[in-house]
Amino acid sequence: MSACDDYRSMIPLYLDGELRSVEAEDFRAHIAGCAECRRLLAEEEALSELLHRARPLYEAPDTLRARVSGILSSEGYSGVSAPERLRRRIRRLLASPLTSFAQPGFRWKSLTGVALVTILTLLFIPPLVQNVRANAFVEAAAETHRSYLAGNLPMEVQTSSPAEVTAWFAGKVPFHFRLPESQQTAGGQPIYRLMGSRLVNFRDTYAALTTYKMPGQAISLLVVADTSARAEGGEEVRSGRLTFHDHTADGFKVITWSNHGLTYALVSSLPGAARQSCLVCHQNMADRRSYVQRP
Amino acid sequence: MSPDAQTQDEPIAGIEHIDGLYGYALVLTQNRTDAEDLFQETYLRAIRAMGRLRDDSNVKSWLFTILRHAWLNEVRQRRRAPETADVESDETTVNVPDEGAKDPHDVYVDKLERRHVRAAIQQLPEEAREVILLREWEELSYREIATVLDCPVGTVMSRLARARSKLRELLCSLLPNSFPCQDRKEASE
Repeated sequence: MSACDDYRSMIPLYLDGELRSVEAEDFRAHIAGCAECRRLLAEEEALSELLHRARPLYEAPDTLRARVSGILSSEGYSGVSAPERLRRRIRRLLASPLTSFAQPGFRWKSLTGVALVTILTLLFIPPLVQNVRANAFVEAAAETHRSYLAGNLPMEVQTSSPAEVTAWFAGKVPFHFRLPESQQTAGGQPIYRLMGSRLVNFRDTYAALTTYKMPGQAISLLVVADTSARAEGGEEVRSGRLTFHDHTADGFKVITWSNHGLTYALVSSLPGAARQSCLVCHQNMADRRSYVQRP
Repeated sequence: MSPDAQTQDEPIAGIEHIDGLYGYALVLTQNRTDAEDLFQETYLRAIRAMGRLRDDSNVKSWLFTILRHAWLNEVRQRRRAPETADVESDETTVNVPDEGAKDPHDVYVDKLERRHVRAAIQQLPEEAREVILLREWEELSYREIATVLDCPVGTVMSRLARARSKLRELLCSLLPNSFPCQDRKEASE
């Protein structure tokens, strides 16, 4: 068996995030110098991307959601010994009306879909563990943003093209990350400008850092697999099926959310509460009402 | 209205794993009615068993495992092959958000692509269907999939390799321009 055979057998493991970091580094080094293995990797990535574009495969009908909700209400919910703080949060979640995928949602394509914090997860997973992991991610995102502002984290790919960023991250991070092609505009003018991306370390894995510029404002987006961190805590803002968590860390506003296996942290110095900062980009969008403060 | 008063009369929101579990139920049963029953049974079993969960338990793979056990139990009780029906219907397919910002042609192409992917998945054997769904859509790790399927990690890897190979073959015939099918065919010859 040649060296290439060994590395080719690693392609699915690499794409599935099953290689240890040292193995992944070795794999990347080989791929960089082997055109044939690179071609095979690209083929496997193409299949994987096609499958991911078809997500979600199915959506449970609302009638079924209602039936399960009935089960939770009548049988499980009252019998669960969750702390009162959790129960309050669950009650807030339960207060949300049923929504449809057809409802205008968050506009970034890669961030759309189902991402409600789960009632069962809230009940089952110790909140302390979740909070520690969530806080570590929030703090890491703020620290990364500060380093970027200080000029200590130059972008490894400098481009205003989302497609180039997406292509650059392919195979570099242990998850599938795609920047949306669409750009938010106000009066025909882009609201923000993509500056570039780079890899950063988060715990024992890689995270994807992407930076943007607005007038007088730098924004960074840190993305990790949700197995490394979950969005949790802070002030919650719901838009469609996504729940955003608004935090303040190291003097920055950090908004986190989890969706489709990834957890995101958007870091800025934008003033105001979460809803107001969301409106900076969403002010002219169809989902604007999602961010307008309800009385 | 106080928050508590507000919650009493309003409908209940969805649950994070609801679509994933329902999709897995459909993949196993290939029948919408059975899938709904299986899904409901899963939640009933989960609620009754939640006391046995440890603090460090993986809730997602636990739920998928419960669903699979419930299905195997159902199959054993019926002692016959499950009835199948076309799961491709407006009720179960997804209206993906954010399409409004896209060119209508792109929306059409995406929809077509999604339909073909679902069709290809349905043509896979059950063993391949479930391992592909658990990995590509639910993004469970190999170890988590092994737990759900109650098999060694090595078996997960070999099943996944076979499933992907078969899926590639099917998709190459359905969507020949989506990825370099021809190159792969030539390389394997």
